[in-house]
Amino acid sequence: MVEGPLAQFEITTLIPITIGGHDVSFTNSSLFMALAVLGVMFFMVAGMRKGSLVPGRWQLCVEVCYEFVANMLHDAAGRDARKYFPFIFTLFMFILFANLLGLVPFVGFAFTSHIIVTFAMAIFVFVGVTLIGLAKHGFKFFNLFIPKGAPKALLPLLVVIEIVSYLTRPISLSVRLFANMVAGHTMLEVFGGFVVALGVFGVAPFAFIVVLISLELLVAVLQAYVFAILTCLYLNDALNLH
Amino acid sequence: MPQFDPAVFLPQIFWLVILFGLIYLFIAHSAAPKITRVLERRQDRIASDLEEAERMQTTAEQVRTDYDLAMKAARATAASMVAQKRNAIKAEMETEYNQLSGELAAEAALAEQKIIVARDKALDDIRAVSVDVCQDIIQTVSGLDLDEKIISVSVNSRFDMMKETANG
Repeated sequence: MVEGPLAQFEITTLIPITIGGHDVSFTNSSLFMALAVLGVMFFMVAGMRKGSLVPGRWQLCVEVCYEFVANMLHDAAGRDARKYFPFIFTLFMFILFANLLGLVPFVGFAFTSHIIVTFAMAIFVFVGVTLIGLAKHGFKFFNLFIPKGAPKALLPLLVVIEIVSYLTRPISLSVRLFANMVAGHTMLEVFGGFVVALGVFGVAPFAFIVVLISLELLVAVLQAYVFAILTCLYLNDALNLH
Repeated sequence: MPQFDPAVFLPQIFWLVILFGLIYLFIAHSAAPKITRVLERRQDRIASDLEEAERMQTTAEQVRTDYDLAMKAARATAASMVAQKRNAIKAEMETEYNQLSGELAAEAALAEQKIIVARDKALDDIRAVSVDVCQDIIQTVSGLDLDEKIISVSVNSRFDMMKETANG
């Protein structure tokens, strides 16, 4: 049986577990989540082992990640957002490691290419941000849906548009990451198939794959960044009403 | 696409919640505070080093100012000392000069006196001889035997004129 390019996204159960009649098996997806978690932990623990005044290379990598996210959060959402830094940092590192682990040849599996995973994270962000906004501003939070300086006549229409765009945030946030990962991995699989099928002339698609892999590395980092910065921007909307 | 099979939803969400929660707790309670501490310590260290450097610079500037002032004072003292010494030496020299020139003047006056006496004496001697010589010459030339007194008068008037000329 010839596997299609989408077969790589198949979930395979590694340890079957059921709780209360619900299937919560440990799958290849769970395995890579666990690997991402362990990877992030190892990256940080090993990097900050000495915690020296003058950082070594590894420690510098950890510090660069930390400062990158901290600056991003500060620039996007201001000082009030500081207490949400651990969450944003976790989100960024988790997605980054997930995307990069997905690119490991032969064994890699990117669980961020599963819409349910990205959607779960996006909906958590969405609900969390909305609750933070409501807790901070109460009913005034709904001013968010009234654009500043809009003509009175257009206001009802604009409010509807604003609400719809607000409600679609978790969808756009999750689909962006999901679609990028699926597209990249599918492309790699398709061109990988060409390499095998074309024999000697497979050199051409192979060269293309080399280029594509670099692009996918960029996408992996970029999408983690995009997910994190959009979360920061949503947080900014909730914390600092216009 | 396998992603849209509802059977894969629950196990993934279940493990995502557990594992994401785990990494969140780890980062929030262990990793992030540790990195924060390291960065803050570095920041503090840099700040304190800069402060120390600034303090040392201030001290150095103070020392320099003190040095300049001390130098200035020392120069002034030296200049005044030199001036004082110079004046003292000048005064001393003047006194000595005056004293010496007084002595010399006295000596010169004395010497002059001696010269005058010696000259007068010499003139008197010459006069005595001159009278004899004149008498002899006149006798030899004219055969006149003039009285010594007459010759003496003439010679004396000549010598008085010479003396007058010599004494100015």
